[in-house]
Amino acid sequence: MDAHRIPHVATVSSVDAKLDEIAKQVAYLAERQRKNEELFAEMMPIAKLVMATATTRLDAFEKQGYFAFGRELVHVGERIAQGFSPSDVQQLGDAIVSILETVRAVTQPEVLQIAAEASAAVQHVGETEPLGLIGMVRATRDDDVQKGMAVLMDLMRHVGRAASLIADKRATSPMEQKKQRLANVTGAKKKPKKPMGVERAPVAAAVPRAAAPPTCDVPARAPAVVSTVIEGVGFAADGSLVDPSSWTRELATKIAAAEGLALAPEHWKVIDFARADFAEHGASPNIRRITQTTGMATKDLYTLFPKAPARTAARIAGLPKPAGCI
Amino acid sequence: MSIATPKRKVAIIASHGGLDEAYPSLILANAARQSGIEALLFFTFWGLDIVTESKVDHLHMNLAGNASSNMPTIIAGLPGMESLAAGMMKKQMAELDLPSVREMLQILDDSGAALYGCELAMKMFKRNKEDLVPQVKDVITAGDFFDLSEGAQIIFT
Repeated sequence: MDAHRIPHVATVSSVDAKLDEIAKQVAYLAERQRKNEELFAEMMPIAKLVMATATTRLDAFEKQGYFAFGRELVHVGERIAQGFSPSDVQQLGDAIVSILETVRAVTQPEVLQIAAEASAAVQHVGETEPLGLIGMVRATRDDDVQKGMAVLMDLMRHVGRAASLIADKRATSPMEQKKQRLANVTGAKKKPKKPMGVERAPVAAAVPRAAAPPTCDVPARAPAVVSTVIEGVGFAADGSLVDPSSWTRELATKIAAAEGLALAPEHWKVIDFARADFAEHGASPNIRRITQTTGMATKDLYTLFPKAPARTAARIAGLPKPAGCI
Repeated sequence: MSIATPKRKVAIIASHGGLDEAYPSLILANAARQSGIEALLFFTFWGLDIVTESKVDHLHMNLAGNASSNMPTIIAGLPGMESLAAGMMKKQMAELDLPSVREMLQILDDSGAALYGCELAMKMFKRNKEDLVPQVKDVITAGDFFDLSEGAQIIFT
């Protein structure tokens, strides 16, 4: 090593001095080398031990699934990165304050206490008895349950409010507008709800029926077929006049007589009302309409026309059978 | 001119006291009377509520377990839903100019329909004849009812 180096130009003394120095350095280096070797020799068993421990430890980690977990985590990260666009991340950034606020609100001691209580209840799930409807009602007497119900209701109210806010926002979203445009072109899917008791086409199409009360009508019947002819006047099978214009007061008396009725002024009041009402609304009045409009008592109607008052009155008045159930 | 048909008669047994269950019986009976058919009504079990003075104006409508109601049973079973539904039904009936239950009972009485209470049910619910609406003709047993409804078509609601 350094010992082979021989100065080219120098005096003997300087060479001596140099040699001394070199010898010192050689000695130092040799010493260091020796120390290194010693150290190495000492270190080897320790290093071996460390390596062995590390290997078994890593192996154990692998067995416990830490690395698999880590690998999966990387996949998850990749998926998150694929699933979210930069704008999403930006939105997340915008929302971070409210997210943190929510987290802070959720982790308030009071909230955590409620959660702890609730989880305690869930942990004791094995001890709880099945609860029937009666038990449920009885439970509502409990102060705690009542309080809980109130909190739940309040929670529902808030959730509902937030949901309707979101719904309002959505209603004007471009997608919704597109849908609406589409609906305008294709025609609305849902028809508007009709009220109960749908009004049907009036019997006499020319006469509007707007003022008539809605009833559970039967559909307009087909033109009556002549069933019987009495004194040149045609009657349908249900006893109504085939041609309403052929009605006369004399004919009414005859029909009434056939029904076993002698027409008194009270009868005529009903018959005249029925004819007037028919002329106005295009439908024969039923009992309820007669009583409601003329102020006559139901009882009196049944006394005047013992069998089916409205029908009999309509028949005598030369009108079609009244519809409606009341 | 009168159509020669044998005298028809219907006997309607009303065993439920819901608002929606009361109307079919009453309307059927009334329709029978309007068509010249004799009508006989027998109110038994919960149907007694329809003719009980203190209940007739407060009949409720049960939505729970009713497949035709568009309200889920779990909500329909909540307290107060019955009166809410009854209120809505009454409103709709008023819009249709349908008489109230009390009015229907009066109309039936005026039209000559005969209303009867069930004696056994009266005992069960501890009600007296005075607790019933005046339109109820009498309190009779099921046997009496069958005697009265001889020749009638019996409808159970």
